[in-house]
Amino acid sequence: MSGTNRKFVFAYSFLVILPLLGLAGILKSGRHLQAPASIDGLWSLQLDSAQLASLPCGKILAGIPDQAISISQSGNSFVLSFPSAPKITASGALDGTTLRASLNDMGASKDNGCTDGQPLTMLARVDRHADSKILAGTFSPTNCPACASVSFKAERQAAASPQGGH
Amino acid sequence: MPNLFTLVLQITVILAVCRLTGSLFRRFHQPRVVGEMFAGILLGPSVLGWISPQASAYLFPPSSLGFLNALSQVGVVIFMFLVGLGIDPKKLKHQSHAAVLVSHVSITAPFVLASLLALYLYPRLSDTSVSFTNFALFMGAAMSVTAFPVLARILTERDMMKSSLGNIAIACAAVDDVTGWCILAYIVVLIRAAQQTTPIWLTLGGIVLFAVIMIYGMRFLLSALLESTFRKYGEISENRMAFLLLLALASALCTERLGIHLLFGSFLMGAIMPKDPKFVRYVLDRFETITITLLLPLFFAFTGLRTNIGLLSGPSMWFYCTLIILVATGGKLGGSTIAGWLSGMPLREAAGLGTLMNTRGLMELVILNIGLEIKVISPALFSMMVLMALFTTFMTTPVLELICPDQALRPAPQRVAVPEVPLQELA
Repeated sequence: MSGTNRKFVFAYSFLVILPLLGLAGILKSGRHLQAPASIDGLWSLQLDSAQLASLPCGKILAGIPDQAISISQSGNSFVLSFPSAPKITASGALDGTTLRASLNDMGASKDNGCTDGQPLTMLARVDRHADSKILAGTFSPTNCPACASVSFKAERQAAASPQGGH
Repeated sequence: MPNLFTLVLQITVILAVCRLTGSLFRRFHQPRVVGEMFAGILLGPSVLGWISPQASAYLFPPSSLGFLNALSQVGVVIFMFLVGLGIDPKKLKHQSHAAVLVSHVSITAPFVLASLLALYLYPRLSDTSVSFTNFALFMGAAMSVTAFPVLARILTERDMMKSSLGNIAIACAAVDDVTGWCILAYIVVLIRAAQQTTPIWLTLGGIVLFAVIMIYGMRFLLSALLESTFRKYGEISENRMAFLLLLALASALCTERLGIHLLFGSFLMGAIMPKDPKFVRYVLDRFETITITLLLPLFFAFTGLRTNIGLLSGPSMWFYCTLIILVATGGKLGGSTIAGWLSGMPLREAAGLGTLMNTRGLMELVILNIGLEIKVISPALFSMMVLMALFTTFMTTPVLELICPDQALRPAPQRVAVPEVPLQELA
């Protein structure tokens, strides 16, 4: 074997084969890591609209025709939106199995019973399984401990098949 | 039914903004593609949606995005066909030691570093619906890609295509792209197989069978049908061009049906096409203009609409983003530089090669969009990776000018066999 070839074999082993062995080790050790519970997707909401409408800021939410929420998750943080009311969004955080999100001002005005500083807060829990399909929690006015809260239940809708391109 | 007014308005605005920013970036010696990638970000929620949510909602109502996406995907399908067309697998077999080492290291180094980074990012930016293995493999594949067409453009603009550095860079980029796509195909199959009832062996068997038919059957048919006609008449009839396009689309449909993705089929069809340089140029000339000027800007815009820099809220998110950029650059630029230097290249030239290999451009965006679509990466991670793609592509020209002035690179005899007709315009 010539000097050039020997150098090539050495460099190849050191820079290609060795790192690939390292990759196998990384993949093996990573299997034990635990990621945040999956909440991403479309959820159909079940709640008492009349009760929700009685909450400050609750009228707008109760008036959404298709009671579905869409959650776009990035690790422990998520963005919540309502497909039927794109202007209403919320950003939130996932702490273990507990979700907490504050809805934006939702066009706050006294006409719809919404005063400043009282957007709704969503507090919910989810099962810590990839296939968890149930989300249960409450909507309540932020910074208003005396106010009532409205319970809800949400069921995750089946994801659209990835088949068929984008 | 699509709202035709909205769709045409969207296309008009996208084309205008892409042309403007592309031209602006050209003034700063950047490839047009960098400006167009940037234009996508400008039109998305990160800039337009942040400055004027009303204008953004009027121009890009959520209900209209499906049509825009469909159009942009047709563009990417044709683009991948053209990328495959520019790669000649035969010529890649006869590489020098330097090219072999650099190409393999430029895949393994960023791949392993990205997997290492995945150990840190997985608990922070992923969720239980994605396994660590898929997450790490995707991160590896996304970070090890090199934008073959953008690279070809930069080399052509700097008159480096015939230099030894240019030769090695273009050969390595081709190897990286083919390898990256194979790894990505594997990940997509794994993820989709988990969601479907079809057994994975059936999917893999179908893919292998399809590839064998394409490589050992279709290739010769194409040679007989197209190349021989082209050699005889110096052109191809409209019917045969339409047939060619039809084959690319049919191949894309086959791979989609087999459970990989549309883009693999069109790429494979391009790769098995006859490689007579004049024939390749002839086909490119007929497809490039419409793809580059009309369809790809739509893809950039759609990617920009999916990129929300607002999701990177808080110092921790920006820290993750910085880590991603550092790891991607360190793995690709650093790995290629070390490999080039160990292969006997002068350090400056090896660093130039590393810089070129670090160009990710449009290919990265294509891969990231697939990752977001199959949900192996989250929207925030997608945005970070898009920023990484922009940063690494943007830095190529200035860094190259800094460490490899023109006179240090030319001329040199051709040592590595490379495709003679690169996609000069596809950037």
